[in-house]
Parts: sequence; C-alpha cells; structure tokens
Amino acid sequence: MTSDDQPLLEVEDLTTTFSTDDGTLTAVDGIDFDVETGETVCIVGESGSGKTVATESITKIIKTPPGHIEGTVRYKGRDLLSLPESELRQIRGNEIAHIFQNPQEAMNHCYTVGWQITEALQIHRDVSDEEARAKAVDLMDRVGIANASSRFDDYPHEFSGGQKQRVMIAMALVGDPDLLIADEPTTALDVTVQAQILRLLDDLQDEFDMGVLFVTHDLGVVAEIADRIVVMYAGKVMERGDVLDIFDRPAHPYTQQLLECLPEFGGTGGGIPGTLPDPHDPPDGCRFAPRCEYAEEACRTGEQPEEVEVAPDQQVSCVHYGPGGNPSIVRSEGHGPGDGATGGDSEVGPADD
Amino acid sequence: MATKKSEEFDQVDWNEISRSGRFDLSINSIGMLVTTLPLVLLAVYDWQFLGERTPTFQFVGVDRGLESVDFFFIFTLLLAFWFLVLPLYQNPRMTRYYWKEFKQNRPAVVSLVWLGVVFVGGIVGPIVMDPPQQELLIAYQPPVFTSVVDTTPATCVGEVMNGRCYGTWEHPLGTTNAGKDVFTMIVYGMTISMQIAFITTTIVATIGISFGTLSAYAGGWVDEIMMRFVDIILSFPTFLMFLLILYIYGGGLGMFIVVFSLFAWGGTARYVRSKSLSISEEEFIKSSRISGASTYHVIRGHVVPNVASSIITQLTLLIPGFLLFEAQLAFLGIGDSTVPSWGQLISAGRSDLSFAPWIVLAPGIVLFLTILAFNFLGDALLDALNPEAEAENT
Repeated sequence: MTSDDQPLLEVEDLTTTFSTDDGTLTAVDGIDFDVETGETVCIVGESGSGKTVATESITKIIKTPPGHIEGTVRYKGRDLLSLPESELRQIRGNEIAHIFQNPQEAMNHCYTVGWQITEALQIHRDVSDEEARAKAVDLMDRVGIANASSRFDDYPHEFSGGQKQRVMIAMALVGDPDLLIADEPTTALDVTVQAQILRLLDDLQDEFDMGVLFVTHDLGVVAEIADRIVVMYAGKVMERGDVLDIFDRPAHPYTQQLLECLPEFGGTGGGIPGTLPDPHDPPDGCRFAPRCEYAEEACRTGEQPEEVEVAPDQQVSCVHYGPGGNPSIVRSEGHGPGDGATGGDSEVGPADD
Repeated sequence: MATKKSEEFDQVDWNEISRSGRFDLSINSIGMLVTTLPLVLLAVYDWQFLGERTPTFQFVGVDRGLESVDFFFIFTLLLAFWFLVLPLYQNPRMTRYYWKEFKQNRPAVVSLVWLGVVFVGGIVGPIVMDPPQQELLIAYQPPVFTSVVDTTPATCVGEVMNGRCYGTWEHPLGTTNAGKDVFTMIVYGMTISMQIAFITTTIVATIGISFGTLSAYAGGWVDEIMMRFVDIILSFPTFLMFLLILYIYGGGLGMFIVVFSLFAWGGTARYVRSKSLSISEEEFIKSSRISGASTYHVIRGHVVPNVASSIITQLTLLIPGFLLFEAQLAFLGIGDSTVPSWGQLISAGRSDLSFAPWIVLAPGIVLFLTILAFNFLGDALLDALNPEAEAENT
C-alpha cells in the first residue's frame, strides 16, 4: 500500500510528442497531476486536447516510435517511464487497468467474453481455469450482468452496448487494480445506461479502494463522478481544483466557457468560437489566448503562464491571476455560469487574494 | 480410457488453445505430436533402411510403397485433423453457428458433399482398389449406358447388338487406349488432387502467415525488405523455373508441389500483412496490450485468429489454381507421366477424342466440378466465417 504522504500516481512534467511527416507534434506538453487512492480525478477538455494521450503515456502503451514520452510518472513511488517493457507488462492490467471509450471495438469477436475477462488474470497469475472462471463469473455478477455463469461462454456480439461496457469494467477489475484509468467510458452509451455505469464505477471504486483517473469531455459526467478536476487544453493544464470549487468559481476563461456550453449548469449552450491550435506549432504564451476574449498582449508572449493558486487547492494558469494581472477582468464581466441560471448558486467574485 | 478422453475433449476449446501465456500443451498439440512421431519414424525407416524399390510395408507383407509425397500428405492430414476438425468438435456451439450460416448457401453444400466424395475417394480408393492394369485386349470400352461401333474396342466386354458395343458396369466410365479402367484412374487421380490441395495449402499457409505477421509486426526496414522479397516472389517466373528444374532433376509430383507452393505464398503473405496491420489498429489489441499481454501473445491470441477467417477463404480459392495448373502441365506433356493425375488421363486420351471421347470427358468433368466446388466453397466460407463481410452487404 502507499504511504499516506505519497500519492498513488504522480505525474510530473509529462510530455508526449510524435514525430510525423510534418514535424514534431506535441500532444501533451508538460502536464502534472496526481491521483490518490480512493479518489476520482477527472481530466476534462475538448476533443484533441491530449487527454487520451496523457493517460496512455502513463503505462507507455503509446507506440514509441513515433511517440516519445518524457517526464516522470511515479506509481507507488516507482518511475514507470524508466521501467523496462517486461516490468511494465506486469503492471499493466494487474495494477493499472484501463477501460476504453468504445466497448464494441475493445473486444475480440473471436472469443467469448469469459475468455477475455480471464485473459488479463491468466497473463499475470498462474491460476487454474476453474479459479479464473469463478473469479470472472463473480466479477460479471458484481458489475451487474444477469445469469453471469451462463453468459460467461457468450460472445461479445450477444451483449448490448451497456452490457459490453460492464464486461469491459469486469475485464479491467479482474487483476484487482489499484488505479483504474477510464477513458471516456460512457461516451458511446446512451444517457440512461451512462448513469448506471457511472454509479457502478462509483460503487466499485469504494469496494476495490481504487484511484480512478477519469477522462471525459462531458462536464455532466464530471459533476457526477469527480472529486478533483484537471482541465486540459491543447496539451497543457489550464486549471485544476476540487470539483465543487471549479463548478462554482471557474477561474480560467476556458473553464468558464466550457461550463457555459452546458445548459444544465446554467450556461447558454453555445460553443466556444474558434478551434484548437495546431499541435505542430502551438501559439506563444497561453494556448487558449487565440480563442480567449480576455486575451491581452501578455497572454500572447512567452510560455504558458505559471499556475497560480486562486483558492485553496485550486490552481489556474492564466496571466490575469498572476503577478501584475487583474483577476477582475476575467471574473467581473459576468461570464460565470451562474449568471444565466435562476438559482444563482454560483457566486462569481474576485479572486480571494 | 476412451470415455475419459472424450470428456477431456469436451472441456478443451479454441479459447484455451490460443492462450499462449502459459506453456502447457493443448490436447490438440499433444495429439499432433503423438501421431506425427510414428509417421516420422516410418519415414526415416523407409528412407534409411529400405531400398529405393522396396515397398514401405513389406515387413507386414503389404506390397505398397509410400513416397515422400505420401508422407507429407499424411502429415497435412494429421494437421487438418488436430487443428481443424477437432477444434470444430470441441466447440460445438460455434460449429453449429458456422454450419447454420454455411448451409444457407445451397451450391456450397453440394460442393462440400462433392469435395467430401473426392476426399474420401482419394484416401480410401487406392487402399481398396487395385491400381489400373494395362489390358490391351479390352481397350476403348465405352462407359455404361453408352455404345460405340464395335470395331473401336478390340474385344467388347459387354453386349454387342446391331454392330454396336455397349458399356458395362465392369467399366462404368469405360477404358483407355491401354485398357485401363477410367473410373479407377479417376479415383487414383483424386488422391493426387487431394495431395496437391492439402500439401500446397499447408506450405502456402505456413510461410504466408508467418511471413505476413512477422512483416507487419517488425515494421520499419525489416518490413520493407520482407515486402520487397514478396514482390520478387510474386514476379518470379515460376513456370520457367519449373521447366528448368524439370530438365535438371526431372519433375515428379513432389517437385511440382514444392516448386509451385514455394512461389505461391507471396499473395497470401501480402494479404496477411495488410490484414494484420488493420487488425493491430483495433481497439481490442490495445486492450489486450493494456492488460499486460506480450507481443507474442497479442499476435498468436488476437491477430492470427482474426486473420484466419479471411485466410481460410483465400487459401480455398488458391487450390483450384494449383489443380488446374497441374492438369495443364500434364496435358502439355510436361511432368511425370507415371503420376495418375486427371491431367495425365486427359492428356492420354486427347488423340482418341474423335472416337473415344469419354477418356477425356470423364476426368475433364470431374476436374471441372472439383474446381467449381472449391470456388463455391471459398465463397460460402467467407460468408460463414466472416459475418462482418456479410453484414456489409445487407
């Protein structure tokens, strides 16, 4: 087990680049975050902001080359990026498990789901077929598949989308992982099933005492499941903090605009004008500056601004909160998500400092 | 013992066979090893201790020899039994499913029956039937239910009425210019056809699949070199090569099979490579890697089984080419005229076509039907084994 002062997963300055014909593409550009046992950290951001690449860099399943991963990923104190492939294989599936976005494609149609659930178990441990089967049936039962023992020998096409995602979860949990990386696990599912799966993940997290790293672009899902949020944009972290703090007092203009896209949180439901910057040639200064309505000259020069603590445990990477900046530019103009809502549960005000 | 064994058979299924993380042998591999061992011993015995002309089974008093082609043929039959037929039995659910899909295609079912007849005839025929004997006296007997002018055969075996000689059941498909029974020769030809089909398929599949997956997974310059080698194989003038070998070493059936299959796997390898590449992009490959599977496990357990369904189809469609080519070579008089293949029979009868057409027609029709059957079969297998291809059409 991890000691109390050491996070389960600690990512520092993680940079993932790909060499392409058009030059080097930087998908993830020096991000940090950590995940504690028992908590759920959500990486949020629009498509193409490098969320998936970041999670796949953790266990190095990015193909290298063309990929290239730098930085440190410490899992229970071990630096994963410097481990040889054979030791990484011992960690994958066994200690760090993944769930994918699309359960239809993440299963091999040649094999029964039972085979696929026990696959990870039998790779890592020398268990007999009977033990593996018993464990898989038990897991299928726990993830909510009726008649688990008879469905063990069914093929993936005989399951519905939601059931397949449940099977995927069972596949991930079979090795008793301490960290579960869920990459948009509910995106391919309809809303009712989505809610069931989220609840299931929540229950299982308590039961298995796992850290969960949850990747999504859906803030509605975030509100339901997250303890902490890391907002990513174009390979950089824009803002991070407790889920309630960020939903109530989003500091970064990008976070504010993301929340504004959600009608259910009082936003207008409009989009964010503009598109993601070219990852081959990211803009100077803040990555979001070209699309930011508060951008000033200072935003367009130098590097991505240092993260500034705007509230306890809430950090934001924005010039306006930094030294010499004026947070009220961003916060006072009435672009907080609470404004349009009738309840007005979010109080948007100047920064605490 | 027998009951215990069948129980074990039930418990083993494809899932387990493909599980390569652990090194316990499946019942199929054990069976294969156990049955191959005596075959190898027999081959070594035949090769080392018996003279060229001594029949293999002289020690038990059977006057029949086995040649190297026969040994290979038996080996491929064993392979097919342990790794094709037995798995189907072990996984009755999938077998039923395949059969359900397969039988929707009527021509394919008929084809399968026909190929079954050819297969069984080819295996059992030469064992139960004596080889065709030369009997000049009864040359040119017509097939049963037909008649020829009685001057054509030297002596008519059947009835002679109104100056016509009628065919008899003794020679249901007539006899050749040397008085050999055409039906017997066709049955012996079945063996040759099945030998060509099985051995070439095994060689092409082995080289093609390993070369293709290796190339796909090695990537980079290894892939580049391997694929350029495939280009060379594909553009190689195999026919000229065969002629050359024929003039230097003489061209038996074994030589034909080896030369042509050694230059025929290029297409398969290329196909397997492209298929492997597309499959390795699939999410379940990532999912397997993420569960900690090794590259070998991913290839054996996930890539090859997914490639297999398309490969089986492709190989089935490759067989007719070999059969036709053998027949063409035989017809042109290139090749070993002692091999009792259908092509040789057709070739032998071509000068008598005007008055004894059955010598050419009977084996010709059998050859035609067999090739047609393989084509139908390949088509149906594609639908049955690869439901996605079918789903795309509907």
